Amino acid sequence: MNLKQESNTPIYIQIAEWIENEIIADQLLENGKVFSQYQLAEMFNINPATAGKGLAILLENGILYKKRGLGMFVQEGSKELILSKRHNEKLSNLAKEIVEEAKRLFVSDSELIELIKKIQREG
Amino acid sequence: MIGVPEIICHQVEKRYRNKRVLHSLTCSINKGKLSGLIGRNGAGKSTLLKLLAGHLKPTNGEITVFGECPFNNLKTASNIMFVEEGMTFPPLFTVLDIFKMAKDFYPNWQHELAKRLLDYANIPTNAFHHNLSKGQKSTFNLIYGLASRCTISLLDEPMNGMDESIRTDMYRAILKEYIAYPRTIIISSHHLNEMEHLLEEIILIDNGQIKLHASLDDVQQMLVRLRGDINLIRKLTSDMEVFFEKEDLFHYEVVVERNKIDEKLLQTMNILVQPVTASEVCKFMTSKGKGGIDDVFK
Repeated sequence: MNLKQESNTPIYIQIAEWIENEIIADQLLENGKVFSQYQLAEMFNINPATAGKGLAILLENGILYKKRGLGMFVQEGSKELILSKRHNEKLSNLAKEIVEEAKRLFVSDSELIELIKKIQREG
Repeated sequence: MIGVPEIICHQVEKRYRNKRVLHSLTCSINKGKLSGLIGRNGAGKSTLLKLLAGHLKPTNGEITVFGECPFNNLKTASNIMFVEEGMTFPPLFTVLDIFKMAKDFYPNWQHELAKRLLDYANIPTNAFHHNLSKGQKSTFNLIYGLASRCTISLLDEPMNGMDESIRTDMYRAILKEYIAYPRTIIISSHHLNEMEHLLEEIILIDNGQIKLHASLDDVQQMLVRLRGDINLIRKLTSDMEVFFEKEDLFHYEVVVERNKIDEKLLQTMNILVQPVTASEVCKFMTSKGKGGIDDVFK
């Protein structure tokens, strides 16, 4: 993944989202060890403090847990937690944006649904 | 201990004859941070670094590094690495001789790493420092600075004269060295955009004073650019501080603080909300007018 330096989303949130994506994709498993802030810094070519902030958010949200001296691990049930959170927040916000843009461009409901289906077929 | 200020400047003033370069500059820098010292030409970046390194004495005010005054101080000098364009080495020494000398002088000296980096940068070990090209000299100085692993590294425009590809490599080298051996590093530059990913903090200096000292994340999120209908935006931003404003035939844009606006609301009003990069923030905060260069030609 490439980070977007020029974005409304801060880098540390992009890092947190990347880790969430890895959990959703089963690249990181429950109770499995997560990259340290230094590994993340090295991987994404960013300051370790920025990477650390990304991990701190996930810790706060209960996605990760800490074992003293051993690092951070994926909390049980975090995959479902992320999926429902993304569904409620990100996906519905994106859907809202799409509907608004469609309205602005005078695209009808059926045209919009057809467009989504077409992208799904291609994707 | 991390979190303790390692460098403290209190009401520092520096004059060269009648010219006041720094005035009432106050700041503190915590141990173990990688910070960028940003400012326009002549803002006082190099003077500040020279004061911290103990090469200059402040005209007024107080500087403490490791709890001591750095001027004429052997203890601070042996723990501070100051990389700058004017670094001089004994003229009869090859670059390898310089490394061998450094090995005796710096307890944490990384000899193998220094030699590998030199080889990577295609600088022959038997070259003399004064015969290196401008870019090679900068590369050598930076390698020397990194390999010494001093408690504090002050890098004054370390990439001057380097070509594009070696610059990118050297920024990565700084990051990797910092991860391997965390220490206080301050890099001065007027090219914030090429190094902002490395930094934890930004210290913006303007007219000899600290204009802004904040974490990079905060600076990146500080301002936003609004684009859309001029009358609507003017009305919405009438009571806000405007950092930049541009108007042409087809669109209008204005830069304001992010925490003053309601992003969701603006989107429903057909106003585009765009990010403002850290380097633009620094530019807007240190430029004279609100319209930039376009104002001059009006």
